[in-house]
Amino acid sequence: MPRQILITGANGGLGLAIANAFLTESPENHLWLGVRSNRDAATALAATSPDRIHLLDLDVTSSASWESAITTVTTASSSLDVLVNNAGHHQDSLLATMSDEAWHGVLDTALTGVFLGCRAVTRLMMSQRNGRIINISSLSALLAPAGQANYAAAKAGVLGLTQSFSKEVARAGVTVNSICPGYIDTPALADMNPEQRQIALSRVPMRRFGKPDEIASAVVFLASPAAAYITGSTLKIDGGLF
Amino acid sequence: MDALKQQIRELMVAELMLPMSPDEIATDTPIFSPQGLALDSVDALQLVVALEKKFGLKLADAEAARTTLHSVDTIANAISSRVTT
Repeated sequence: MPRQILITGANGGLGLAIANAFLTESPENHLWLGVRSNRDAATALAATSPDRIHLLDLDVTSSASWESAITTVTTASSSLDVLVNNAGHHQDSLLATMSDEAWHGVLDTALTGVFLGCRAVTRLMMSQRNGRIINISSLSALLAPAGQANYAAAKAGVLGLTQSFSKEVARAGVTVNSICPGYIDTPALADMNPEQRQIALSRVPMRRFGKPDEIASAVVFLASPAAAYITGSTLKIDGGLF
Repeated sequence: MDALKQQIRELMVAELMLPMSPDEIATDTPIFSPQGLALDSVDALQLVVALEKKFGLKLADAEAARTTLHSVDTIANAISSRVTT
């Protein structure tokens, strides 16, 4: 049976890996890639399978944008089976010098965006009596480094939101889980200088960074029938870091 | 109207997995009061979604929900007035 899967932040390294994992999992998976200004990579992926991949204009910080996106999906397919809240960005600085804009910008995307996404699909998924929501948090939520007060607070907020929300929709057959990736080899990690990379690597018991595919496979699992009894959980994938 | 009330009671038992038969729910029993069925806010959300799906009943806000979801009688009144207007 075809499944409709919406992935936010789909133009990033992790978002693309998640999209590819769902494409590989089943030919019946149809993807809706939520993108905003940066969309080159998602557009290229969509071109490889235009009958199964659709781009969605989505500003995750806007409830109106969410409403429009969900209407687009349900008009085309009448259901939405999986939502992966993956959008987020860093704007690191020490709290003492953190601007209002850096605080609100990160919170808006990484936390409010998850709230709005979950709210936008609640009634639909409850009405279907079926739905899977996977929120991409971060190891920073559990082990917050200096310089990430905004990001760590947002991602920790995602864990609390996930636990609370999962209890509200569990009876309706909707599961909500979080994933906390550690250091994953994506373009975001490439922003580190060689010295920072070495220090980070030395902290990881497995002595390597994770691959985007290793997060994506967990997302696919949590969206699968095999994970039907898992909800409100936090899965950390970090090479043993924490 | 009695048929509608029976449908509502059956929907409540099925959707909210209530450990009782539909006939055990008096139509004037307060749904969310401790003296009534003592259902909680999670049940309320589920009931709102189920009523919207089955009867097209849309509740505009929390106050409308509080009034409408008081009992099977008030739900039936809301549905029938929506149908007849």
